[in-house]
Amino acid sequence: MSTFAVIARREIRLAVRNRSILISALIFAVWFPVMSALGVAAGAGEDATALAGGIAAIILPVGVFMGYIFCADAFLREKRDGTIETLLCAPVSLRRLWEGKAAGVAVPAYLMTLVSAAVTIAAVSTLSGALVVAEPLLILHLAVVVPVWIAAAAGLIGAAQLALGMRENQILGFVFIFGFIFLIIGLQGIAPGGPGLSLATEGVLAAAGIALLALARFIAGKVTKERIVRTIP
Amino acid sequence: MNAVEVRGLSRSFDGRDILRDVSFTVGHGEVFGYLGPNGAGKTTTIRILLGLLAPGAGEVRVLGSDLAVDDDARARVGVLFENNGLSDRMSAAGNLAYYAGLYGVEDPAERIDELLTLVDLADRRNDLVGTFSTGMKRKLGIARAILHRPEVVFLDEPSSGLDPGAQRMVRDLISELSRREEMTVFLNSHHLDEVQRICSSVAILAGGRIRAFDSVARLTAASGRPTVTVALADPGDRARACAVIAGLPFVAGCETDGDALLCTLADSGATPDLIAALVGAGFRIEEVRRSSRSLEEIYLEHVGRAEGGS
Repeated sequence: MSTFAVIARREIRLAVRNRSILISALIFAVWFPVMSALGVAAGAGEDATALAGGIAAIILPVGVFMGYIFCADAFLREKRDGTIETLLCAPVSLRRLWEGKAAGVAVPAYLMTLVSAAVTIAAVSTLSGALVVAEPLLILHLAVVVPVWIAAAAGLIGAAQLALGMRENQILGFVFIFGFIFLIIGLQGIAPGGPGLSLATEGVLAAAGIALLALARFIAGKVTKERIVRTIP
Repeated sequence: MNAVEVRGLSRSFDGRDILRDVSFTVGHGEVFGYLGPNGAGKTTTIRILLGLLAPGAGEVRVLGSDLAVDDDARARVGVLFENNGLSDRMSAAGNLAYYAGLYGVEDPAERIDELLTLVDLADRRNDLVGTFSTGMKRKLGIARAILHRPEVVFLDEPSSGLDPGAQRMVRDLISELSRREEMTVFLNSHHLDEVQRICSSVAILAGGRIRAFDSVARLTAASGRPTVTVALADPGDRARACAVIAGLPFVAGCETDGDALLCTLADSGATPDLIAALVGAGFRIEEVRRSSRSLEEIYLEHVGRAEGGS
């Protein structure tokens, strides 16, 4: 098994075993979409495409937030405990370590986001009486755009958590979340298809997600072991 | 080629010099003790050797390589920091399996079984590490550090926070490892008694500089003249015996110490001559004990001198 798979598998296992984070993520995955579903159902009536657009707009920020929640366990905890220092001595490059951890964060975050999407679709369908499950663009959104953005969020937040001190991380955590949400809203606004589900909007969001992932990889490559070690509390 | 080479190493943080022109070497198979007070720069030295921090000046090599850039060389080195590098939410075997995957250990299941038996944790292999005592975590941490059969292992304060029984267990484990697995051990420790018992050579770091670097035997022998404590069968003979001894050419001095005589020899091999002279003069000897200075005395002398600014 490659070192990437070894690291990712371990992070997934630890995420599954961390009850407090799982419960927090599950509460958010259910509570936030149920509350939002009321607004979506009221605003879009029985138009299945408009309902799917409303769901897509909710789910992407949920996915980003899930990435943030699971990052705290994979990157910040390792740093707070000091165990990251031992990992940095292993014959694995820092970039490979970051890739494995980011993937290990993205998988449970994506699965929890799918749970959230299922709850939202069920709630919206029940409230509106329209069937939105089979909307092809919504499936594309959930299968491509959402995982790319979760991976980008996990990668960027993870790299920042490795490079910054504990206090800076506390302050900047929410800056990242709101930054991502404003970016999503902004991209939906400037996309040729406008807000809601359209092939053009999905294309813009997917391209932006891939660009963010590339940016995260670039930043992770600039983080040094010295920077990480000197910011261990 | 030495296992560890440090030449002219200097490093400062925020304008404060932590290490100044530090040089020493550690031979293959040695158990090396790196001593110094808190904040002396011991952990900084280890971090530089491991490639976690960059040297400000000078050069460091482990197994002839710079670990900061050489992944293959890092695979031949083990490390135990104070936090043990273990996840509390994984089992003992799970933690070892993770590192076995990272280091590409062949036949990991067999090696994990072997090490868990060695550190006496075989019956706790599936228990979460979070349920372990500090001593058990340290033992598992040592098992983790040597899992991939490293040629050099760095142990940063391995006895820190342990009760005397656990300290002894860790000490015995380190001695056994250096014998059985023929590893070079770089031991960073505050426990001078531990270092004196298991290390073949030491370096004393104080005020950012190396104050002493030698084998333990030479360091303790070279620090002052050898002394011999002689207990006579009749303590009343002490003053007369002292007068006889003081006139001998190989005796540098003699004084009474409680019920015994404390003789300082000018020649380290003169103990048999001293005994022969006392017996020849008609004194009956109860006990003779050679004493050299402890590593603790030498350490305190060097650290005190460094703190005094000399």
